[in-house]
Amino acid sequence: MSLWVDCYRPKSLDELHYHEGLSARLRALAGSGDFPHMLFYGPSGAGKKTRVACTLRELFGKGVEKLKIDQRVFMTPSRRKLDVNIVQSNFHLEITPSEVGNYDRVVIQELLKEIAQTQQVDINARHRFKVVVINEADTLTRDAQAALRRTMEKYMSNMRIILCANSTSKLIAPIKSRCLLVRVAAPTEQEMMKVMKHVADRQNFRIDDDNVIQEIAQDADGNLRKALLVFEALKMQTGLNGPITIAKPDWETYCHKVGDMIIQEQSPQRVMEVRTKLYELLSHCIPPSVVLKTIASHVVDKVDESLKADIMHWAAVYEVRMRVGNKKIFHLEAWVVKVMSLYKHFVYGIDMSSFD
Amino acid sequence: MSVSADRSVLPIRATTFDGKTVTIRKKLKRYNIPSRLNTREQRVTNLLAVPIHRLMEELSISKATGLSKQYVRHAPSREAYSDPEAPMGTLWVDRYRPTCYLDLLGDDRVHREVMSWVKEWDYCVFGKKGKKRARDEENLDEYRRPRERLLLISGPPGLGKTTLAHVIAKQAGYEVFEVNASDARSAQIVDDRIRPALESGSKVGSSKPTLLVVDEIDGATGGSDTSAGFIFKLVQLTQDKPKKRSQSAKDNIPQPNRPLLRPIICICNDLYASSLSKLRPHARIIRFNRPNDFRLVNRLREICEIEGLKAQSRALTTLVGLAQGDLRGCLNTLQLIKAKNVEVTETIVRHATVGMKEAEMSQTTVLNDLFSPMSTKRAKDLGLGEEDLARYVNRLSREVEASGATDKIAVGCFEHYTTLRKHDANLNRFLKASEWLSTYDLFSGEMRSEREWALLQYLPFMLVPLYPLFQERGNPKVERPKADWESYTQTRVNEEVYKTLAKCMRTASTRHGGAYRHLASDETLQLEFAPMINRIISPPLRPVNKQVIKPDERALMSRLVDIMVAMELRFIQEKSEDGQLMYRLDPPIDTFVTYDGKRAADIAISRYAIRHLVASEIDAQLIHKQADAVEKAKGKTHAFFGRREPIEKGTNGPAASGEGQLLSAEPAARAVKRARQDVTVDIEEKVPTDFFGRPIIVRKDGQKGKPASRVGKAHVRTPGVAYRFNEGNSAAVRKLVKVSAFL
Repeated sequence: MSLWVDCYRPKSLDELHYHEGLSARLRALAGSGDFPHMLFYGPSGAGKKTRVACTLRELFGKGVEKLKIDQRVFMTPSRRKLDVNIVQSNFHLEITPSEVGNYDRVVIQELLKEIAQTQQVDINARHRFKVVVINEADTLTRDAQAALRRTMEKYMSNMRIILCANSTSKLIAPIKSRCLLVRVAAPTEQEMMKVMKHVADRQNFRIDDDNVIQEIAQDADGNLRKALLVFEALKMQTGLNGPITIAKPDWETYCHKVGDMIIQEQSPQRVMEVRTKLYELLSHCIPPSVVLKTIASHVVDKVDESLKADIMHWAAVYEVRMRVGNKKIFHLEAWVVKVMSLYKHFVYGIDMSSFD
Repeated sequence: MSVSADRSVLPIRATTFDGKTVTIRKKLKRYNIPSRLNTREQRVTNLLAVPIHRLMEELSISKATGLSKQYVRHAPSREAYSDPEAPMGTLWVDRYRPTCYLDLLGDDRVHREVMSWVKEWDYCVFGKKGKKRARDEENLDEYRRPRERLLLISGPPGLGKTTLAHVIAKQAGYEVFEVNASDARSAQIVDDRIRPALESGSKVGSSKPTLLVVDEIDGATGGSDTSAGFIFKLVQLTQDKPKKRSQSAKDNIPQPNRPLLRPIICICNDLYASSLSKLRPHARIIRFNRPNDFRLVNRLREICEIEGLKAQSRALTTLVGLAQGDLRGCLNTLQLIKAKNVEVTETIVRHATVGMKEAEMSQTTVLNDLFSPMSTKRAKDLGLGEEDLARYVNRLSREVEASGATDKIAVGCFEHYTTLRKHDANLNRFLKASEWLSTYDLFSGEMRSEREWALLQYLPFMLVPLYPLFQERGNPKVERPKADWESYTQTRVNEEVYKTLAKCMRTASTRHGGAYRHLASDETLQLEFAPMINRIISPPLRPVNKQVIKPDERALMSRLVDIMVAMELRFIQEKSEDGQLMYRLDPPIDTFVTYDGKRAADIAISRYAIRHLVASEIDAQLIHKQADAVEKAKGKTHAFFGRREPIEKGTNGPAASGEGQLLSAEPAARAVKRARQDVTVDIEEKVPTDFFGRPIIVRKDGQKGKPASRVGKAHVRTPGVAYRFNEGNSAAVRKLVKVSAFL
């Protein structure tokens, strides 16, 4: 029913396949009776949410797994209605404030106050506090983060907060200082292969060739979720007997194509062609910064050493601009033109302004 | 035939031989003042002591004064306004507004077109039978109305569109009912005022029928897409069908919508205003062009003479050129000049028109100005020299600012610049242009997010640098930017698909103990999940009959069906345009592997037969699920009544989460057939209950409990009962199966 990613997700700390030291520490923490606010951070697909879920289970027992999902409606000051999906059990609650964009402050304020002001009614509960898990905490706006900081101290008796973030750089310092920081590093290739073997075991099939899963692990680049999705896709498509070609996400293939186009030819016509491709990518809802990063790293792979630093430098410059600006395509194209010009100057090695 | 001729402008009356009186308008004599001549004069100087244009002018003035004397004598109606005693309070624009068809200035063809449209209503409104042409007959409906019941006149301001509508209405014998920007123009007005006015047919106390003139319709509120919009209502008004009458008599609706029987003329400046998009298909569209400069100058000269203003025709030509044909603007300027001077010269005109027409720049005009140099004619009109033209920054930045849509112009620049200068060898120009645009966006983004509106004044200057980079005579005309908009709408569509997918996954996660919820966040969904799920759900299946499928393929298939059911993905049968049946994936997440209209190469094209197979399997699975749900609901009623709860095996045991694990932990080859067996087992094992959910206790004598003996096999095993179960969906493959086969 559910995908492999989900049905073989470890449920308790003991089942986790890697980062044993971390698991031991979390177990000790959960058993100690006291529990701090926590901030889990690490790259995407490293297993942050899995570890959060396991910790909660260690903390509260099996009851955490009885989930219900409901939709709450919040009202912004400008009388706009916001729908937020909340996953909760008797002991904890998960929200993804980025669903509501700029109005996350309202959700954070109302929801946390509400939780904080009600006490645990279940007498059998092991702890008196409830835990609030905030996913994608690095997309919280500054307002929302500010709303969070006092709440974290004031309602400590009734509530603990677990934040999940890709990087801590976007969180304000007061929040970081109130949390216990837990870094979940990406798994190594060996660890990922171990997990895939485990999945294959449970699925009752054998992997004859270790190269296959090694290839998948290499391609996933530390993202176990991606690795498992690819693994399952390949199993569905080819049955995993014999040689495979890793299914890359289509947007990535497309980005690489754009990168090749930039290197092949540098002309106004080509700028136009690249632009339509970029539009195509953006209209598929691929985040522009991902587009820029993917194309840039592909281009960098193909060009001469001396150009690499420059290309990346400009990619960084334009990404900063892109984050401030509204029209992402302007900056993407500005970067493309810049790279084309750099490349052309390098290849021909002469100043060509007189040919105009 | 006697003709009473006259040297005036009064129409000539003539009587034909059969006694009919015919009026023929005498054409005004034109004094051919070669207006082009004086523009060339700058270069060719000193050939005559007095410039030729001045000579011509004197000549024309002497003629004109002679003419105007007669004019005044023979046209008493005009005398009223040419009277110097006339109140200074009236504007010249009003004083010299044409009052009859023949006075109209401008393109005759346009006037005739409008007139003929109004005349098409004659049969409907007046019941007159005019000349019938076969062409007209086709277009008319049962009320003999023209096919387009609206007339949309568009054109730049000041050319006399409103006047035209009024004059023609008067000429055709209508009374004008005008709605303009000074009135509230909400959808309600259509119902409250316009409809009654049109339905009653004529104004109170007037015998003439009404003609509705909706002036400045591009400023109407509400937009045209919403049903609350003014334009929507207006269009609806014209489309009302008369057949409703019989129905409404039955339904007792107090106001049946009567058909529209009066003409409506709409007037707008911008034909392509977004609010008019719904109106355009229903209207006959007439574009109003700038009248011939020469005729405008003539009219202006006439007026100047009547007002006693000495005007050089050179000055008047300049004025018309500056105003770009806006006659109203010209008249207002002249009146202003009159207040101070008695003579109109070129310098005075230039002084008086500073700043005129600056606010009337459309985006396309601004874009064109940014990418091509100013035309020599316009430069001459504005009196700009070579060195003035070189100083472009002020002029262009002001233009960009005045357009009021700097962002749109930036997008326009972005879309246009790559089409120019194909031979930019080292991309220097492109580099600069993209740099400027990027800077522009940086500023505007900063301005918006930090609310630093003070930055607004610098924005136009970021676009002006494109002018020296790309301006060239003969550049292609700038088209309306559309790629950006297209991409935007496409993005919205795809976002919607993502949202549906995320929603599907959330519902899936409620059913499967929160299984899919971690995948539903934005980035993961877009970057990792969407491409992969597309591959997961398209395994290479062979389109074969369900019965002869291989076991490993069956396993694959059942896994596929499970996933699709869990995520609420469906194949929906549809007919394509050419009438072929096809299956569409819903929600259409296969768009995310489709780039440039091509699917990814490593995904097998799923054929109709396969999709059909999968779809029917999904349906079977769903039916089975529903049956499960019904069983569960029954289980709940037991609990509700607080009776002894029957021990059930599969239906209420582990919660949904448990079930999910249980089944998925099994080897995936859980065929649908097995599932069906489960159901049967459940029924047999269950304690029979009556309507209230109480278990039925079968009496020992067993004579009355007829229903119990039928179902309650678990308790009373009577060996004689046989149970027939037919496997398969159709009679063709049915075979008998004994109950023992299930146990």
